[in-house]
Amino acid sequence: MIQLRDFCFRYRECSQPAVMDVNLDIPAGSFTGITGPAGSGKSMLTYALNGIVPYCYPGDFYGEVLIDGHDTCDTSLTDISRLVGSVCQDIDSQFVASVVEDEMLYGLENFGVAHELIPARVDEALEAMGIADLRDRLIASLSGGQKQKVAIASILALRPKVLVLDEPTAELDPASSRQVFLLLADYARRHGTTVVVVEQKIALLSEFADLLVIMQDGRVRFADAPAAVLARSEELLSIGVNCPRSTTLMNRLAAAGLYAGPVCTDVAQASRALLEVVA
Amino acid sequence: MIEFRDVRASYDGRIPILKGVDFAIGQGEFVAFAGTNGAGKSTAMRLINGLLKPDSGQVLIDGVPTTQLKTSELAHRVGFLFQNPDRQICCGTVREELLFGFKALGELDAQAEQRVDAIIERFGFDPDADPFLLNRGARQLLALASIVVLETPVVVLDEPTTGLDFRECVKVMEVISQLHRAGTTVVMVCHDMEVVADFAERVIVMSEGRVVDQGSTFEVLRNPRTLEEAHLVPPQIVDISLALPLMDARLAESPVAAADTLNEMQVAVETMAGRAPVGGFVLEEAAERLQGAPGPQELQPPAVPVPSDSKEVLR
Repeated sequence: MIQLRDFCFRYRECSQPAVMDVNLDIPAGSFTGITGPAGSGKSMLTYALNGIVPYCYPGDFYGEVLIDGHDTCDTSLTDISRLVGSVCQDIDSQFVASVVEDEMLYGLENFGVAHELIPARVDEALEAMGIADLRDRLIASLSGGQKQKVAIASILALRPKVLVLDEPTAELDPASSRQVFLLLADYARRHGTTVVVVEQKIALLSEFADLLVIMQDGRVRFADAPAAVLARSEELLSIGVNCPRSTTLMNRLAAAGLYAGPVCTDVAQASRALLEVVA
Repeated sequence: MIEFRDVRASYDGRIPILKGVDFAIGQGEFVAFAGTNGAGKSTAMRLINGLLKPDSGQVLIDGVPTTQLKTSELAHRVGFLFQNPDRQICCGTVREELLFGFKALGELDAQAEQRVDAIIERFGFDPDADPFLLNRGARQLLALASIVVLETPVVVLDEPTTGLDFRECVKVMEVISQLHRAGTTVVMVCHDMEVVADFAERVIVMSEGRVVDQGSTFEVLRNPRTLEEAHLVPPQIVDISLALPLMDARLAESPVAAADTLNEMQVAVETMAGRAPVGGFVLEEAAERLQGAPGPQELQPPAVPVPSDSKEVLR
């Protein structure tokens, strides 16, 4: 669904590229997590996918970015936005309406969705994020978590093939963060949506992602299944990426010769593995 | 000393946020507030520094109700770090930003300038840099530094690590930890229970405008009822430690069921795996080894610089 070939982008006012030598193949319907230290080029990758680069930021663009076979440099921003829905880091800057339902309608009407189809789309998207009861609420009166769900639902209503989210849970508590990921993953599975999420919470990414991408200094350092990436917990720590502690624990026990099973990416796996170690 | 006595608070007098909150925080303590979004934590913080006054009940700072303290008197006692540094930063250069607190208090003198210069050196700031051109982590550090420089006896921190990457998070927590060791009372709202477990001595848990539990950090984080009631996700090692006895009842009295931290768990497992005779564990021996276990620094030197007396900071 998404191919990046030798992608490199340098902002006009910068001497160094923000990202370089990026080669990624993201299959349709997959869930990809991108993480890495601040300034490593994570957000830049999302700009490449949703067309902000090359259309909004001036700079030098090398290589190619293909979304569903369309080269983003040869496709208009409007057409890219029909393929790729994105939720920005600062959701308040995304809202255009003051009431939840109006926010949902804005995108649908602008995309020229037939009027008779709109109510069902709004219902479905609100249901998908579990916020049907918020339909008539003022956005300003919502909590951070509720706003986040409204921002995602308003994009889901457009039924994009690709969904790009930049730190969608930064302001949320762990339980709400996980709930947002659960709802997203469930929606994506049912609709075959390709999801790309930039996120600092690596424990969440390793639980949900099929492909985990670690960025460092504008390059892709690792891109593999979460377990394969998290096997290098010490190396990740040295570049400023902290693995979930359940992973670190089991990796240390593996290094001490006490555990020889697969890499544990979450608490449930680590608990089961530990049971055998201490039995 | 901070004390809440049956504090009720609301916004616009209509939507109740705090519904009768009682707690006390002693001088020099490091207390974390935990709870979901909307539990009332940030409101409690705003009551401490007087940004908000209670509808009823009392918020006492050193025994004096905040309603009787002038803003400047409160500012001398309580430093406040907002969740979003951009709501705090307001000056054109880093140096001006650090001097701003003194200016606002009308105490801009040679001594204040000296303190600002010292903190610029300590944090390695460029004094002439434009704060708004710094990255998020650096802006957060600057906002924190502008509180630290005022040397208030209490600092209140609302989500100091949100939006930061791991290294930035370590840096910010290192500064906070040093403050605490120097005797400052630290009150911190934090969603990341790994950070809470690493740094806080005591946790106050809020849910729906009420305090539902408070106590020493691991006592609270290991209480299944509290975790469920406040929808808290415990630190991963505590989660494992609580899960193992449920999976195998024979582990209930074993060292893995008592391990709070990564290093304790590692030592517990190593001990049990190495010494477990068929049909049970030699518990006393395991406990002895656990107590005499090497400290975290000896076990594995951290790859990132951390304060020398920190436990297993953020690992």
